[in-house]
Amino acid sequence: MTGRVPRAFYLMVLPAFVLFFVFHTIPVLQGIYYSFTDSPGYGPSDLVGFQNYIALFTDGRVLHAYWFTLLIAAVATVLVNVVALAIALGLNSRIKFKTTLRGIYFIPNVLAILVVGYIFAYLFNNSLPAFATKLGIDSLSTSLLTDSSTAWIGIVILAVWQAAAFNIIIYIAGLQTVPADLYEAADLDGASTWRQFRSITFPMIAGFFTINMVLSLKSFLQIFDHIMALTNGGPGTDTESVSVLIYKGGFQGGEYGYQSANSVVFFLIIVALSIMQLRVLQRREVSV
Amino acid sequence: MPVSVGRARPFVVSLILVAGFLTACAGDGSRTTITFFQFKPEAQAYFQDLADQFEKANPDVRVVVDNPAEPETALRTRLVKNDVPDVMSLNANGAFGEWATAEIFRDFRDEPILDDVNPAYVDIVKNLGQGTPGEVNGVPFAANASGLLYNEQLFAQQRIAAPRTFDELVDAAEKFKAAGITPFYGMLADTWTAQSPLAPLTAQTQGDTFFDDRFAGRTDFATGWHEAMEKLAQLFRYTQPDPLSKGYEDGTAAFARGEVAMLLLGSYAIPQIRAGKPKFEIGSIALPATDDPSKTTLVSGVDVVLTASRDGEHPDESQRFIDFLMGEQVVSEYCKAQVAVPTRKGLTNTDPALAGVQPYVESGRIVGFTDHQFIPAIPLGPLLQTFVVDGDVDAFLHDLDDSWDKVAKRRTWGLGAVKQG
Amino acid sequence: MKAARTNWWLTALLAVLALTILIPLYFAIVTALKTTDQLGGTGFGLPDRVRWENFADAWRLTNFPKTALNSALITVGAVVLTLLTNSMVAYAIARNMHRRLFRILFYYFVSALFVPFPIIMLPVAKLTALLRLDNPGGLILLYVVYGLAFNIFIFTAYINSIPRELEEAAVTDGASTWGVFWRIIFPLLAPMNATVGILTCLWAWNDFLLPLVILSDPGWATLPLVQYVFQSQFQTNYPAAFASYLMAMAPMLIVYLFAQRWVISGVTRGAIK
Repeated sequence: MTGRVPRAFYLMVLPAFVLFFVFHTIPVLQGIYYSFTDSPGYGPSDLVGFQNYIALFTDGRVLHAYWFTLLIAAVATVLVNVVALAIALGLNSRIKFKTTLRGIYFIPNVLAILVVGYIFAYLFNNSLPAFATKLGIDSLSTSLLTDSSTAWIGIVILAVWQAAAFNIIIYIAGLQTVPADLYEAADLDGASTWRQFRSITFPMIAGFFTINMVLSLKSFLQIFDHIMALTNGGPGTDTESVSVLIYKGGFQGGEYGYQSANSVVFFLIIVALSIMQLRVLQRREVSV
Repeated sequence: MPVSVGRARPFVVSLILVAGFLTACAGDGSRTTITFFQFKPEAQAYFQDLADQFEKANPDVRVVVDNPAEPETALRTRLVKNDVPDVMSLNANGAFGEWATAEIFRDFRDEPILDDVNPAYVDIVKNLGQGTPGEVNGVPFAANASGLLYNEQLFAQQRIAAPRTFDELVDAAEKFKAAGITPFYGMLADTWTAQSPLAPLTAQTQGDTFFDDRFAGRTDFATGWHEAMEKLAQLFRYTQPDPLSKGYEDGTAAFARGEVAMLLLGSYAIPQIRAGKPKFEIGSIALPATDDPSKTTLVSGVDVVLTASRDGEHPDESQRFIDFLMGEQVVSEYCKAQVAVPTRKGLTNTDPALAGVQPYVESGRIVGFTDHQFIPAIPLGPLLQTFVVDGDVDAFLHDLDDSWDKVAKRRTWGLGAVKQG
Repeated sequence: MKAARTNWWLTALLAVLALTILIPLYFAIVTALKTTDQLGGTGFGLPDRVRWENFADAWRLTNFPKTALNSALITVGAVVLTLLTNSMVAYAIARNMHRRLFRILFYYFVSALFVPFPIIMLPVAKLTALLRLDNPGGLILLYVVYGLAFNIFIFTAYINSIPRELEEAAVTDGASTWGVFWRIIFPLLAPMNATVGILTCLWAWNDFLLPLVILSDPGWATLPLVQYVFQSQFQTNYPAAFASYLMAMAPMLIVYLFAQRWVISGVTRGAIK
C-alpha cells in the first residue's frame, strides 16, 4: 500500500462518524450530564452534584437489582453454555436427522423474546400449576413466578430456552473446525470420550467458548424483555434487573436524573466485568 | 457500472427513503388538527365516537385520538419529546399532581365550565398539585366510588347482610369461606388492585391530618398506618390461593362467573364485570374500616380529569373540545355507560350497582384516595404486593417510610409541592 | 472418517430434548384455536371445538396488515441501508488499521457495544423528536447507526481475510478507491452481507424498546409494539392474544423455514468472523 491515504477512505467513514457522534456519543454525554441533575426528563432541572450517586449506594432497591442481575446473568451464562455445548456435541456426532434437529434447535433465535415471554408466562402461571396439582406436587401447585424465591428460575428458563439456540450454532461451527484425524489418533491411543473432550475438543474450541461466554454475559447483564414479559419486576420489586429498574424508575417513576446516574454506574460495571472475563478466559485459551 | 453512480448510490437511496417518510408525515392543510390523549383502555371506542361527533359539529377541527398502552409512561415520553398532546384525559392521581406542579397543564381557574362542576371534585384536583398557587390544572369529568363490590345473589343465598362494620366484613368472609365460596379475589399481578382497599382502610384510621404531618416529618407510616395494614393483611387471608398470578381481568371475570363473593374494587370495575355477563345484581358499599358505622367514609376520586397543554398551539380548539366533552348530555351518558359518578352539579347516576354508595355521595361523606399522595417514584404498589403475600406489617411500614424519606431526600422538587392546596 | 454408525440412542435423546423447543409453540397454537371457556387445566389438550375467529379477531384488533407493513418497511429499510453503508465504513477502516486515526475510529465504534441502552434512551428520544425523526425514517437511521458497532467488528475481520492483491491489481488498472470497493470488495462480501442482513433483519423485526420510545404516531406501530398494547388491553382474551402472538411470529418463522440453512450459516459467520 502507498503511504498516503486516499481521500476516498476519509469520505467513506466521515458520514458514519458524524451520524454516530450525533446519535450515540452526544446522547451518552447528555445521559452523563443528566446523572448530575434532578431532571425528570422534561422541564427545567438543577445540578445536584454527586447527590444521585451517593443516594444510589444507600438505595436498597438499587442494590437488590444489581445483586439480582448478577445472579441471573451468572446462572444463565453458565447454563446456556453448558446446555448449548452439550447439545452441539450431540448434534455433531453420528446421529440421524442432523439438519432437521439443528433447524429445530435454532428456532427460538428468530422469535421475539417479548412474545415468547408472554407464552411462557401463561405456561408458568396456569399450565404448570395445573400439572403439579394433578400429580400431587404441592410445592409447584402455585405459580413459579409469584414467589420471590422461585421467580428467578422462570426467568432463567426463558433466557436459556431463547439464548441456547444461538450458542448451539456457534459451538457446532467450532466443533467442525476440529480436524477429524485428531480423534482418530486419540481413538488409537484408547482415550475415553471424556478424555478426548478434555484434551482435544475443548482446547480446540476454546475461542468459541470465549466468544459465547462474553456475548452471553453481556446480553444477560442487560436482561429486560424477559422480565417485562414474565414478572414485570414482581413480586414487589424482587425480580427487577438493573435495566428494568432504570426503565421503571426513570420513565414510569419520573426520576430520570437519578436513574441516569444508575446507568452510568451500570455501564462502568459492564465494562469492568467484560474486560475481567476476557482476561481470564483468554489466558486459558490455547489458540483461536 | 460507472463509479460515480456506485459512490452515490447509498446516499441517494437513503435520501429518497428519508424524504419519502418526511412527506408522508406532513399534515393536511385547511383543518386544525388536535391530539386527544385518552388513557382509559376500556373507553377507547367510546371516546373515538365522541371525537367523531365533535368533528361533525366543528368541521374546522380534526381530533386524533391516541390510546397508548401504558398511558403514564407514554405521556412522560411525549413530555421528553416536548410533544405535549393538545387535550388529555388522565386519572387524577399522584402522577397527575406531579405534572401539574411541573407546569405541563393549563390553568382552568377562570373557565366558565368549572362553575358547573361540583366544588368537592375541583378541590381534589387542586389538592393533587398546582402549577402556581391557586391554579386548577384540570376539569373533573367523571368520579368513582371505591369500596367493595359484592354478589347480591350469593349474599342472599348465604343469608348474609351487607357488612356495616369491619368485624361484620370479616364475619361475612369467614362464612363464605366455610361455605366453600372464595370471599375475595386477589388479583395482585396488577399491583394497583391492592391499593384499592388500602385507600379506605387508611383514610378511616390514619387521622385527619396524617399526610400533612407526614410531609412535615411529625409522624411516620409505622405509626399512622399500622391499624390499616393489620386489617388489610387480615382481608387478604380470604383470597383464592396464588393471588399473585392473577390480574384485574381475571378477577372481574371470575366475579362475573359467580365464583367470588366480593371484590375489593370500586365502581370503575363494574363495566368490566358486566362485560362478563353476570347473572346476578352487583351491590356496592363503602368499605368499613372500623366498628363504628358512622365513621365509615366513601373513597371517591376523580377517575377522569380533562386537561390541556399549557403552551398548546391550539388553545381555542382544545377548549372547545373540552367544553363539548363536559356537556351535560355527554357527561351523563358517559357516567351511565361507564357506571361512573357524575362531577357536574345536579347529575346523579341511578345505576342499581351504585345504590349502596349513593348516600355517601349525596351527603358528602367523601374522602380522596390516600395513595394519590404518593408520587410514582415511591414503589408503593410493589411494596404492597410483597406485603399482602407475606403479611409482615412492620417490615412493610418500615420499607415504606424508608422509601418515602429516601425519595424525599434525593428530590429537590415535586414531593413537597404535591401537598400544597 | 470411519464407517459411520448411527448412534440411535443419541438421536432419540436429542429428539426428545427438541420437544422443549416445540412444546411452547404447540401450546400457543392449540390455545389460539380454543374458545375462552375451553381454557383452564393444563391447557395442552387439543381444542374440542376449533375457533378460527380468534385469528380474525386478532387480525382486526391489531390492525395486522398495516402493522405488519410498518414492521416490514422498517426492517427492509434498515437492512438495505445497513448493508450499503456499514460494509463501506468497515472497508475503509480495515484497510487502514495500521493508521492511528482509523484504529481509534474502530475502537470508537466497537466500544459502543458496551454502552447499556437505557443511558441513551431518553436523550435519543429527545433528539429524534427535535429533528423530526420520530418516525420510521428515524428508526431506520438509528438501526443503521447503532448497527455500526457490531457490524464493523465482523466486517473488518472478514475483509482482513480478503487478499489485497486483487485491489492492488485494480488500482494499477486505474480504478479509484470507490470503484475498488463497489466492484471488487462489495461482491466478495456477499456471505458477510448475508450475515449482517439476517442479523439486522431479526433485530429490527423483533425489537421492542427502540420503537416504543422513538415512534410518536401510533399509526406507525410495529408488530411487537402492538402485542404489548394488545396484552395490556385484552388481558384475558387469551385465545385472541395467542393468535396475535402467532401472527407476529409467523413471518420470521416462514422466512426461516425456507431459508434455514442460509440463516444458520449466516448467523454462524457473524459470531466466528
